[in-house]
Amino acid sequence: MKFSPSLFEFHNVTLTRQDNEILKSVNCTVLKGEYCAIIGPNGGGKTTLIRLLMGLDKPTSGTIKLFGVEQHQFKAWHKIGYVPQRSALVDASFPATVREVVAMGRYALRGILSFESAEDKRIIEESMEQMAVSDLRDRLIGHLSGGQRQRVMIARALASHPEVLIVDEPNTGVDVESQHRFYELLRSLHKTRGISILFITHDVGVIAEDISKLFFVNQTLLVSQTPQEIVGCESISRLYGNPSHVLTHNH
Amino acid sequence: MIEMLNYPFMQRAFAAGLIIAILAAISGSFIVLRRYSLLSETLAHVSLVGVSIGILIGSNPLWMAIIASLVASWMIEYLRSVHHLYSDSILAIFLSGSLALAIIIVSLAGSFNASLFSYLFGSILSVTNEDLIIMAIAGTAGMALLLLFFKELYFIAFDEEVARASGIRVGLLNFMLVSVIAVIIALSIRVVGTLLIGALMVIPPVAAIRFGLGFFKTMLLSIAIALVSVIIGLSASFFFSLPSGAAIVLCLLLFFIAALVINLP
Repeated sequence: MKFSPSLFEFHNVTLTRQDNEILKSVNCTVLKGEYCAIIGPNGGGKTTLIRLLMGLDKPTSGTIKLFGVEQHQFKAWHKIGYVPQRSALVDASFPATVREVVAMGRYALRGILSFESAEDKRIIEESMEQMAVSDLRDRLIGHLSGGQRQRVMIARALASHPEVLIVDEPNTGVDVESQHRFYELLRSLHKTRGISILFITHDVGVIAEDISKLFFVNQTLLVSQTPQEIVGCESISRLYGNPSHVLTHNH
Repeated sequence: MIEMLNYPFMQRAFAAGLIIAILAAISGSFIVLRRYSLLSETLAHVSLVGVSIGILIGSNPLWMAIIASLVASWMIEYLRSVHHLYSDSILAIFLSGSLALAIIIVSLAGSFNASLFSYLFGSILSVTNEDLIIMAIAGTAGMALLLLFFKELYFIAFDEEVARASGIRVGLLNFMLVSVIAVIIALSIRVVGTLLIGALMVIPPVAAIRFGLGFFKTMLLSIAIALVSVIIGLSASFFFSLPSGAAIVLCLLLFFIAALVINLP
């Protein structure tokens, strides 16, 4: 049996704000090479779980490990490509071209007062090509469509050469056609580049086919198992607390 | 026209003005993009507290302005980032509070005079050699910090959350940026004046953004607008005996109107 090192580990993680338990005793592990989805009702703590993982919020108790290292000692943040919720909603007049945005993915890897190396340039070009945004390089990010902006944000995340890509509700403000292309892209990145994927979605139907692990978050981590066991309407209804129907897309 | 540079006071005014223009345009770009433009206005008013203390105790007002502005910038950033108070509310409190304090101190010192007037609106006659040395030293340090962390500051302005998640020390850099801005504003009060320095920081980037360019080109254009405005404003001040700050700001406004007209939607 092939050993897969853990990317992320949550051990009894609890987050309390003003006596309200946002997340309670979360225990889970994401392994290298996995393609994971996080689902759950609004306000259930999905985004908070990711923010805790990225160190943007601090847990009240419990420990989080990234790549086997305690979070407070972890330095290799470039290994994680992070695309937060609503990141594609950019101010229309913000002076940033597509290339400048993608180049930000290299910033944390460069020293202070350093110029772009030949390798930086190559990786930026590669990331733009992979996300099919090379033609848009000189356009302002705020002038693009929602789907195009979303691809630019993924290109920025890819420019740090991440081992795992975390995407929070990728389809906020994006049309259906772009959503389909987006999920196709995530699959392709997982299969061709071997990047582990962890994404939050409301779109339960899209996860039915090839997700290797599914997390259901509603104040605590209720489920962590293969999607085939959970995407049945009855299971979803039970978890969300009201009758639900799963609509699958043909990708 | 070039003969005005034969006067030592004009040489000092131009040297100081050009240093300030470059620093204000670069640092102003970051605060405009972060929708934090009122910071410059607030710290300018705080600088006036330093000036009034300087006048009261007979110390160099520029040093006191730098100290007052720095301390206030740290307090503002602390309240914003740690206590999560609304930025605009904190700035409004500091702006009016510091102005009130400055007026009380100046009244106590009995110094409502021409000297104070020059600090409010700028004066090309007021830049001393000592001021110029302070500007050169502090300006170089400020410029070095802005250039050292240029790309990180840009990343933070674009997306603070992802910058933080990328391992960039956002909190520390935010403190550094407000500190540099505090020093630049304090340095600017000789030439532009406390009531008008906000315009030198905010108008060049806002006008440049209208041209829809990328960040680096926008910043270069912003620097150009600030430099040209300072040169024209100081010259107008010399030839027409106008307060230098007001002349510079009117020139900036013309650039802003031109940028609006050229880039009508």
